[in-house]
Amino acid sequence: MAAAASERQVRISRIAGRYLVFDIEDVVHMRRHHGICAVLTGTMPQNPTQNLFLGLPIELHAEEAKLLVDKKAGYIADELSEHLSRLTGPDEAARKAYIQSLKRQRRAAHAAFEEEKAKVRAQHQGKRKAGKKAKQTPAVAAESAEDDASTIGVAAAAAAAEGEQGESLFSTAPPKQPAAARESPLPGITPTTSSDLLLPCPARTVGDSSSSMAKDLSPSSYPFYRYLNSRGYYTTPGLRFGGDYSVYPGDPFRYHAHYLANSYGWDEEIPMLDLVTSGRLGTAVKKSFLFGAEKPANEGAVAGAGGSEVRVFCVEWAGM
Amino acid sequence: MSLDDDDNPAVGVASPIISGVSSSAALPPDVSPDALSVDDLIEDEGTASQDFRLFRKNAHVSAQTIRKGEKDFESHGTRAQVEALEQSRAAMRDVLSYTRVHTGPQRNLARGWYFPQWWEGYQEELQEGEAGSAGEGKEMEKERRPFGYIRERVVVLEGSSVASMNLGRAVTGQAKDRPARGKDWLLPEEALYLVERGSLDLWWPTRGLEEIFPPETTPKEGEGEELDEYDLGFPLSLQAAYALLIGKDDERGKISLQKFQVYSNLKRCGYNVLRAPPITTQPTRCPTVATTTTLWQWLTSILTSQPHHKHYGPLVRPGLYRSYTSIYRQMALIPLHKPSRSPSNPRNSPGEPFAIHFHVWKAAQKWTKLRHPPPDFHLAVVDAQESAVPTLREITALLDATPHAPGKPEWTGPGRLYARLKHGHRNGLVAVVDHGVINYMRFAEAAFGEERIYERFDARGHMKSGGKKYGGGARSGNGNGGGRWGRGGRGRGRGR
Repeated sequence: MAAAASERQVRISRIAGRYLVFDIEDVVHMRRHHGICAVLTGTMPQNPTQNLFLGLPIELHAEEAKLLVDKKAGYIADELSEHLSRLTGPDEAARKAYIQSLKRQRRAAHAAFEEEKAKVRAQHQGKRKAGKKAKQTPAVAAESAEDDASTIGVAAAAAAAEGEQGESLFSTAPPKQPAAARESPLPGITPTTSSDLLLPCPARTVGDSSSSMAKDLSPSSYPFYRYLNSRGYYTTPGLRFGGDYSVYPGDPFRYHAHYLANSYGWDEEIPMLDLVTSGRLGTAVKKSFLFGAEKPANEGAVAGAGGSEVRVFCVEWAGM
Repeated sequence: MSLDDDDNPAVGVASPIISGVSSSAALPPDVSPDALSVDDLIEDEGTASQDFRLFRKNAHVSAQTIRKGEKDFESHGTRAQVEALEQSRAAMRDVLSYTRVHTGPQRNLARGWYFPQWWEGYQEELQEGEAGSAGEGKEMEKERRPFGYIRERVVVLEGSSVASMNLGRAVTGQAKDRPARGKDWLLPEEALYLVERGSLDLWWPTRGLEEIFPPETTPKEGEGEELDEYDLGFPLSLQAAYALLIGKDDERGKISLQKFQVYSNLKRCGYNVLRAPPITTQPTRCPTVATTTTLWQWLTSILTSQPHHKHYGPLVRPGLYRSYTSIYRQMALIPLHKPSRSPSNPRNSPGEPFAIHFHVWKAAQKWTKLRHPPPDFHLAVVDAQESAVPTLREITALLDATPHAPGKPEWTGPGRLYARLKHGHRNGLVAVVDHGVINYMRFAEAAFGEERIYERFDARGHMKSGGKKYGGGARSGNGNGGGRWGRGGRGRGRGR
């Protein structure tokens, strides 16, 4: 068993009463091991003018955050106070370390870009050389035959025909030279998470501030949500279909939602009209309407987390 | 990051959903990138390619790369299904592992500094001005600068970049010796949106604003900066930007997450979005047009006065009727809403959450942040969990806060009846946010009372000889108005 994966503690950032996750590894981990996919809400820097697929952070329901904390699979961090304490606090060394890590990342990015540039250049020259080869000129090609050289032979031939003398002039310069000469400054970096600045998870005693923060976090639909989650269902916000949740039989990447779900109180009276409208609405989008409630514990008001009973029903509109 | 970690078969077994199948199904780590051969994963297996993936800006990322093919109804335990899911997950992970990089020449980089306290006191001056109410208002009018929420602005933009064309605001009227004079200041949502889309490098200052932006620009040497690059401050992460810029509704210099999500959603769509200026309790302009009646109107109102209904008997008094108008007039028991140019109740200012928060413009060339036409949309942002469908009072207040916007003048005649009704006389958008999922709804003040269909019934009767197209309909004489609705009229005629 992959111990590291199962012990991973998801950092849930609590910002203004909302629960966000910024670390992609956390997101992947939650999705795979805890059946929580939540909603990507951020703009994707690679493609910032579309709304189809969004980027980090993801926003969790309060129930989802509570579930992670209860399963000891995550902790809630109050981001503002933690950030401010690190940014303005007396701990100069932490900031130094943060800056060091930034520099490391910038160098890595720089190296990656340079490599890419060199690769492109090499490819470009490869194309030219291939063009020359096609014209039976003696190849100067010392380095690798490009894989795709043959496929683009035609285009390269045209390029080669365009300037025969200029060709030799350019190819005399070794490819690494211009890169070194230009010496572009290190690119700036905006890291996605502040993990290098903030206290890492093991350094905190898991469950002191986090659990106190989780305590005031008891959404009424939590038992209902936990019930669905424990049976392997994934949920997303139900606004699209007019319920509390849309419920998927597995990862929404792969499956259609089966239910639109609402959570009620055990003794709560459900207006018939709600049943009819939700039932019809669900049927109209090829889902059944699922509703349920937690049976209150008989032996007093014990906050029995484990042994609670949740009962759920499905309504489908029958066209009679 | 390493891909192997998650594609490890052992991990797959641990997951409850994939179950035992995955141990055989999970791909060997070196195969999976090939399987994802679509645009987003075209790198070859170089040593640095892993590293490189973090910084690569790929233009071909789309929903398609993540969600391939049709979704399934349920798990059927096949290897193909598991593989497809693994691919989607791996693609998501790859796409989202990207780190925002700011490349290019130094002067093109947009750098913002977070100075939350700088304008804290500004509001005081503004309020004083507003205490002498008209004075400040007139001054604003004269300058033609829309209300700027200066006090909320927390990020100062270094240099001028593309971003500052539509976002930010320079605060004018500052003394010459003030630092950062003429620089653009960003609202929290603007700054966060720019950070998120990778266009802004947000820095935490370790020095004061005076040191970073000396009052009289003494050009600093680039070389000197190169050395003590982190002397003035250091860059913040996206997470830090969220922590610092997202807050509760009433916090100064912050914006609520829902509003930010709506803001960035609209910006991604290409709209121009600005915060709606606070509602000034404007002196109610006399609704002259609406209430004054001409002499002619008064005369006609006397002649065709509302009939008095008795407490018993038929609604329509028996008699000989030659027009529908007189019949329908007797049937109108309940007064119909009449939209007016001025707000129905000017003191009824909208309360949270149904208040206009954003003004939205469609993308247009001539739009600038300081000079722009009246907004195309007025938008309120509400949370799906904390609010219900608005009550009539809330909706009325919301609509009263929007300007009178009747339909286009060319929308006349029976053919555009539904266009008029749908458009309404005032309208506002409500963005409902449920944990990051946004729905937009439009509320409009429709005036059904203004559309008297029955008046056209009589017109049809008079046109008996002229109406060649619907000649048959003339006998029934009931077509509900213009020729387009002839079909519905027939049905009604039969029932009579």
